[in-house]
Amino acid sequence: MVLLVENLSKSFGNNEVFHDISFSVNIGEIVCIRGKSGEGKTTLLRCLTSLETADKGSIKINNMYLCKEDNNNIKYAQKNELQAIRQEIGLVFQNFNLFPHMNIMENLMEAPLFLKNDTRENIKSRAEELLKSLELEGKEDSYPFQLSGGQQQRVAIARACMLNPSVLCFDEPTSALDDQTRGQISKIIKYLSSEGIAIIIVTHDNAFADEIAHRIITMKDGKITIEEQ
Amino acid sequence: METKVLRMLVPMALEGLKVTLGVFAITLIVSLPLAIVVAKLRMSNNKITSKITGTYIYIMRGTPLLLQLMFIFFGFYRVPYIGYPFSREQAIIIAFVLNYTAYFAEIFRGGINSIDVGQHEASLVLGLSKIHTFMKIILPQVIKNVMPSIGNEVITLVKDTSLVYILGSSDILKAARSVSNVYAAFSPYIYIGIVYLVIVAVLTKILDKIESKYNYYR
Ligand SMILES: Nc1ncnc2c1ncn2[C@@H]1O[C@H](COP(=O)(O)OP(=O)(O)O)[C@@H](O)[C@H]1O
Ligand SMILES: [Mg+2]
Repeated sequence: MVLLVENLSKSFGNNEVFHDISFSVNIGEIVCIRGKSGEGKTTLLRCLTSLETADKGSIKINNMYLCKEDNNNIKYAQKNELQAIRQEIGLVFQNFNLFPHMNIMENLMEAPLFLKNDTRENIKSRAEELLKSLELEGKEDSYPFQLSGGQQQRVAIARACMLNPSVLCFDEPTSALDDQTRGQISKIIKYLSSEGIAIIIVTHDNAFADEIAHRIITMKDGKITIEEQ
Repeated sequence: METKVLRMLVPMALEGLKVTLGVFAITLIVSLPLAIVVAKLRMSNNKITSKITGTYIYIMRGTPLLLQLMFIFFGFYRVPYIGYPFSREQAIIIAFVLNYTAYFAEIFRGGINSIDVGQHEASLVLGLSKIHTFMKIILPQVIKNVMPSIGNEVITLVKDTSLVYILGSSDILKAARSVSNVYAAFSPYIYIGIVYLVIVAVLTKILDKIESKYNYYR
């Protein structure tokens, strides 16, 4: 088990987005989170990736607690531990959020160079390898605005994978894609899962979820239901 | 007559050019980096910090630079406890830096606010530190966005340097005035006007170059 969420709750003021939800994700498993617009799917992903702080409950990623229950208070990991946990869980944003002023190679190398994960040469060859496996060869020197939506999304995936995360989250990965690129992204996601990365996909695209998911979590009225595929 | 005018004007104008360009260059070099810091303080979550910087910016933008020059030179040494008799050169640099830092800070604040919050979030998820995110991800994009507004202020600064006359400093406009008084001629003002135009033409070229350097992405 690479991700364990227990009794997680989150409100914005009086608006309770979800209450007391628990689930787990295994190595290489693909989990889709489904639900109507406004049911809190994005908020859940943002809690997992520490862009939002949860109000209650615990999140454990690769045996490290991002947050846990501490006699009715939520306690978040300390700064340097947080840094390590963040590297274990990546996020591909709905609009990708590539760095527009950096070329593709720089986009990929920025974080691992900053985190001093490896030597520059090793980081570079890892980036080249990833670009190759995501069919982005020859795009190293391009800038994000020069790429199509599907290509930008693959750059965002490669950028997240540079940190070798155990879990990779996607927010609405098919929302901006045509049918052909949609087929390509599902192939890539299956490939990543076969490499042992746990995948969490937020989507309201039911056909896509049915095709790709090992498990489907449905969010409704702040609660979840889980079905095995 | 005109040769006499020029014979007197040229050496004085060259001396004055040192003052004009000196005030211009020092103000830019000090104000621009300082303005980034002030913009960050203005945007701080700490209410007191942002209130203090907000008040400073309000005063600097709400009163004439001429008045600020006069206050720092003629008025500041009378202030109890903190008063200090600045030299004329010190007073000029302090007033110009304080004034232009305020204007530049507001431009940078707008520029920082215009950057998509997604850039911060992507950096955070990738484990970049706050300071690294600001220096390497946010600031380069801000500079691209604010270049046109900064350019406007830079051009205004060239002309504002003429305000140093109020403290008795001899810039190029002062040279024109002196020569004009001696020969009862208006032509020195025309010549000095042309000098301003040349300076501004050169700056416009440089600013265009810098702007187009940032055109490599959208
Ligand atoms: N930063 C925020 N501040 C206040 N309310 C928010 C914020 N983000 C989301 N919400 C609210 O939380 C609920 C869930 O939003 P979201 O997670 O974006 O839903 P989904 O992704 O399922 O469409 C909505 O009611 C939304 O208005
Ligand atoms: Mg959403």
